[in-house]
Amino acid sequence: MITMVRIELYKIFKKWRTYIGFIAIGILVPIIQIAMVYEGEHSIDFVTRNIQESFVFVGNLLNSYFISYIILNALAVHIPFLITLVAADMLAGEATAGTYRLLVPRPVSRMKIVTSKFFAGAIYTNLLILWLAVISLGLGVLIFGVGELIVLKSGTIIIFEKSDVLWRFLLAYGYASLGMMVVCSLAFLFSSLVENAIGPIISTMAVIIVFIIVSAINIDLFQSIKPYLFTSYILQWREFFNDPVDTSKIIESTLILLGHVILFFGLTAFIFRKKDILS
Amino acid sequence: MVITMFRKILFLILLCSITGFSQSKDPNEILNNVIKAFEEIEDYVVDVNIKVDVAFLKVPEANAKIYFKQPDKVHMESEGFALMPKQGMNFSPTGFLKTDYTAFYNKEIELNGTDVSIIKIIPLDESSDVILSTFWVDQSKNRIMKVESSRKPSGTFTIDLIYPEDKPNLLLPASLVFTFAIEEMHFPTGITGDSNSENNNENEKEDKDKMGKVYINYSNYQINQGLSDDLFENEKE
Repeated sequence: MITMVRIELYKIFKKWRTYIGFIAIGILVPIIQIAMVYEGEHSIDFVTRNIQESFVFVGNLLNSYFISYIILNALAVHIPFLITLVAADMLAGEATAGTYRLLVPRPVSRMKIVTSKFFAGAIYTNLLILWLAVISLGLGVLIFGVGELIVLKSGTIIIFEKSDVLWRFLLAYGYASLGMMVVCSLAFLFSSLVENAIGPIISTMAVIIVFIIVSAINIDLFQSIKPYLFTSYILQWREFFNDPVDTSKIIESTLILLGHVILFFGLTAFIFRKKDILS
Repeated sequence: MVITMFRKILFLILLCSITGFSQSKDPNEILNNVIKAFEEIEDYVVDVNIKVDVAFLKVPEANAKIYFKQPDKVHMESEGFALMPKQGMNFSPTGFLKTDYTAFYNKEIELNGTDVSIIKIIPLDESSDVILSTFWVDQSKNRIMKVESSRKPSGTFTIDLIYPEDKPNLLLPASLVFTFAIEEMHFPTGITGDSNSENNNENEKEDKDKMGKVYINYSNYQINQGLSDDLFENEKE
């Protein structure tokens, strides 16, 4: 199995499109950080304008934690696109290239093929989030240093001590990886249905966009649907930046996301095993 | 305009009430004694521990160092983040009494086991932010034990001061509780936090008419060390 995963990773990283996500993050994050060098004080003033009326404060609030938090908020909605670029091509790409006929007759079960492809996709997804974490926090520390993290949450300003922040980020990035795994497994599922990667990419993004819009509109009907949309749980990493952290909420969301990953992968495996290879 | 009228009415009410009863003490003398005593402190450095108890603000307990130099230079240093109420940053009677004012002696009461004189002051400058301030003064030690000040537009705040028992002649407090009204808060969304409008509305409603408190403990006073003016340069506040 490990050899098969390695082969799949080789296939993934041989394609140019795989690097689009890394390049996009590698360009965008430094741009945001450079912009924050010049404009960051305004952002801090904007967030703290209410407390500035009554309080005087000292300390470095414009730091790598603050900027990494902004980046994670901003990119969480857009990273799924970078994930689908690769995940949607994993099975459909084989069909497009006509390599299903070479791959499937080999003395390896279809279940092993689909599982190794899924693991390779999962590794890519986690590497992309790890890259985001390294470049956001690592480069941020070099430019801005560390300090307390200020978070605005549902009408409350929370300031975390700098020694109390890193573990929150590690868990938030871990949780974000799980959220992106759901996107990966959905794109993988769509990829098993068609013979061209364009359809799964668009379909996955369409599902995500529709779910996010439905969740955002404050209508009773949509709000009642919201708990059944997986996108409602993807952004729950924010809960790690609450005081106190609602662990039961995180555990519940984690289980729901894991359930989606298993469901989407299970469906993919079922479809792939039954698939009539015609191309 | 309304505040100016209110101030005039308040002035007349206080004037009438005071002319009706003979004043037993001179409020200006009491306040001048406090200022005179405080002016003997040319500068000080003090370690502070700050605990904030405000509904919409979750801040870790902070430690900082405050530098003060007469008449009103203040500098705060902290290894981490520290937040202080503007009025509690440098507790100095001269800060409250630096403009022209009319003072009225009210009465003498016992406050936390200490006999104090209550003095009310109204600034004469109509552009002043202060509408009315009340001081509870321990005349025997020329210490201010409590201050209540109504200001525009921030509202009323109260400062309760406790002085070190082991240093009966020290004019600087060992601890201070700053109590203030929290007005309705509008938080910007979209930069760092979620934009759940439902939650925000609920919190905005809850934030109305609440009181906030800041507890400040002072320790290791170093008085009249001859602090350089350079220390206070480029200080925003």
